[in-house]
Amino acid sequence: MDAPLKRWLCLGCGFSYDESLGLPEHGLAPGTRWADIPDDWVCPDCGTPKNQFEMVEMGYAEAGVDQARIA
Amino acid sequence: MPKSFVLRAGERGHDVIYSDGSASSYVAGHPGSHITRESSFNFHQYQGGRPGFGTVRVFGDEVFSGAGCGYNMHPHHNFIICAFVLEGELTHINTAGQGMVDQLRQGDYYVFSAGSGGKHCELSISPENMNAIYLWLMPGQLFLPPSYHRAHFDIRTRRNRIAQLVGDADGALPVSQDLRVSRLVTDRAGGFTYTPRTPEHGVYVFVAEGSATVNEVALGRRDSLGISGVETLAIEAADSSDIFFVETAMLDDARIRAWEKAHGADLLD
Repeated sequence: MDAPLKRWLCLGCGFSYDESLGLPEHGLAPGTRWADIPDDWVCPDCGTPKNQFEMVEMGYAEAGVDQARIA
Repeated sequence: MPKSFVLRAGERGHDVIYSDGSASSYVAGHPGSHITRESSFNFHQYQGGRPGFGTVRVFGDEVFSGAGCGYNMHPHHNFIICAFVLEGELTHINTAGQGMVDQLRQGDYYVFSAGSGGKHCELSISPENMNAIYLWLMPGQLFLPPSYHRAHFDIRTRRNRIAQLVGDADGALPVSQDLRVSRLVTDRAGGFTYTPRTPEHGVYVFVAEGSATVNEVALGRRDSLGISGVETLAIEAADSSDIFFVETAMLDDARIRAWEKAHGADLLD
């Protein structure tokens, strides 16, 4: 059974990682699960370690998802 | 059912970050300048305490010491960052909207919603120390348009009552979150009542100066109390006190819940 794709927020700067979008420019394809990202991965914007991200159940603001794709 | 915790001043996370050495790209200032950061909740290096309270992830009591001390330009997204200047002068440069260079002094405060992205830089450019309270809030939605608002809390004309600084009251700075920040400055001892929007809302009470008894819990300078599940808070404030009230929706957050379970402090159960 497929678990719903989730969103995570960096507690160092607020950068978000959306499993459905991935981060293609950082080598993470759309659909990459948080659990499948290496433990030594850090926030691409501020260097905060992966374990200081928080899973969030939060929607996008209007047009936010388009901005998330290019963030 | 009421749930609460008390955090004494000395129990907070304590970090000193110098402007030279390994943190020099992060912290600005002449050599020997340093930021002293007392964190009520886990933040950066400090990960030994409570992960947060409701929508609040950071409650920092910071002092910038030395000319030019502060944080160099750094990115933000999504978080809503508030600063309340207690003493000294904070020069705040941010890129929200058209961008702005702002200078905040005692009583001034800002609400910076980083939303879809922005950068900011915070400096104390004079040799005088700058002390501010920093609050980081989870936003209501991701990728909101960045915004910056600032205002002044006049300590002389707003004494001896609980005044709302951030939230939905007349004159308060708006925030895209179920949250209110209020402040009580006294020049005589007195009794006050704080009524949250609902008993399900939590209130984090921080005594910046002076002392107070809140629902029979005695709090000294820089002590704090987090409480939820109550209709009202009864405050007996001493003369010359300065008290912040951060009222927030209590999110059912897995990290906070896990921490509370592990520490026998089931604030949300």
